[in-house]
Amino acid sequence: MHLTGLDFLLWAAGFLGQSALLFVLWFRRRASEFPLFTAFISSNVARAIALYLVLRFGTRAAYFYTYWSLAILDTLLQLGVVYELASHVFRPLGSWAKDVRSSCLWLAGFSIAVAAGLSWLADPHTRFWLQVFMIRGNLFSSVLISELFVAMIALSVGAGLPWKAHVVRISQGLGIYSVIDFLIEAGHSYFGLSQGTWVYHELSQIRIAVFLACVAYWNATLWRDAPPAREMSDRMYRELSALNLLVGSQLQNLRSRRQW
Amino acid sequence: MSPRTIYFLAAVVFLAIFLTTAALRYYLRARKSYGATWESLLNRLTFVDRSAIAEIALDVIDESGQQRRDENSAILGSSEVWKLIGGWDGLEANCTVLIDLAFYLQQWYPENALLVAEQLRLNAREIDWHMQRLKSAAKAGKLEDCILMNAQRAAVTYFLMTRKVLALYENSNLPALGALQQRV
Repeated sequence: MHLTGLDFLLWAAGFLGQSALLFVLWFRRRASEFPLFTAFISSNVARAIALYLVLRFGTRAAYFYTYWSLAILDTLLQLGVVYELASHVFRPLGSWAKDVRSSCLWLAGFSIAVAAGLSWLADPHTRFWLQVFMIRGNLFSSVLISELFVAMIALSVGAGLPWKAHVVRISQGLGIYSVIDFLIEAGHSYFGLSQGTWVYHELSQIRIAVFLACVAYWNATLWRDAPPAREMSDRMYRELSALNLLVGSQLQNLRSRRQW
Repeated sequence: MSPRTIYFLAAVVFLAIFLTTAALRYYLRARKSYGATWESLLNRLTFVDRSAIAEIALDVIDESGQQRRDENSAILGSSEVWKLIGGWDGLEANCTVLIDLAFYLQQWYPENALLVAEQLRLNAREIDWHMQRLKSAAKAGKLEDCILMNAQRAAVTYFLMTRKVLALYENSNLPALGALQQRV
């Protein structure tokens, strides 16, 4: 496989940028708050090293299988990050807010159906059936993740649930990346691979450059602390605790009034 | 270009525009909520006749929030409830503001006010749900049947919820309590 100078530059920038992000996540103690996001970035760093070693010392077939095996892991971890961010937003009291549970399931099901429909509609021209499978798989995951991000924003705004500062920053980066990735995967599906790989290659470079911009954004924003919560006086805290008991009892009363 | 490819491209363009527009629209709405202050939230409240809401609510509950079982309870008819409630616009608008108030509390007092704010948010969402049901019933010409079921229950929830908000403001020594009492 022939790699250009730009390929090596993107590889080195990705490795360094994500290694720096891992440092930020551990040093600033964000890793415990976002374990799946940390695992996603860690796997990217490990993937960069593994692919470099396989490219240098392995066979073309070994590179192919390593690349696509790790791509599946990457997609699963991205879905895990979506779940992790949703947990931060939709579980304000530790369990899923009851007014959004059904909407979450409905939107997830609808997003899967749309992503599956669009992947089925794609008809990439390739030389081998495996390439069709790969292109459609990438399109499916990119459509699904971008839909889930937009659905998550819409649902939280409609329900009036706030996002913590670092959740917003991770979501902004991954959300923008996923929408651009969807367009790039749609381009891969349209141009296919039957006439060569250069369009596929160029589009992939754009995708990597966009991801690098997101990594730089995460490095800068996750380094900074979130705005501090405001302090309540002891008296206010005691009164709020009493009010909480009152609210709980009133809610039970409301729930028991079936005959209205 | 095959018809299938044309359909695919059309679907991609449609989905890309839809996702981008939806993301921008909700992102801007969220930013507006993040920039809100107590004062700006209070200024958004519209005047609701609290005595009318209390009259509807106290038809079926007592002052402590318990259901009334005496012979003079639940005597209001649907037309009286509808007349007292004066349509749904004020209640619906204020529900949105109360959801934003809960958002504000969760954002700035996540450690202390989380439980109360979450309860307020859920109550406001429940009232909003009843209001949407009333709207649908009005469109279908079945408003009368729905009023006692939804409007009175919404009024009770609103009555209890606004009492919690007022208590929260009072306990927090927030200066805008007087303005809030006049509006909700």
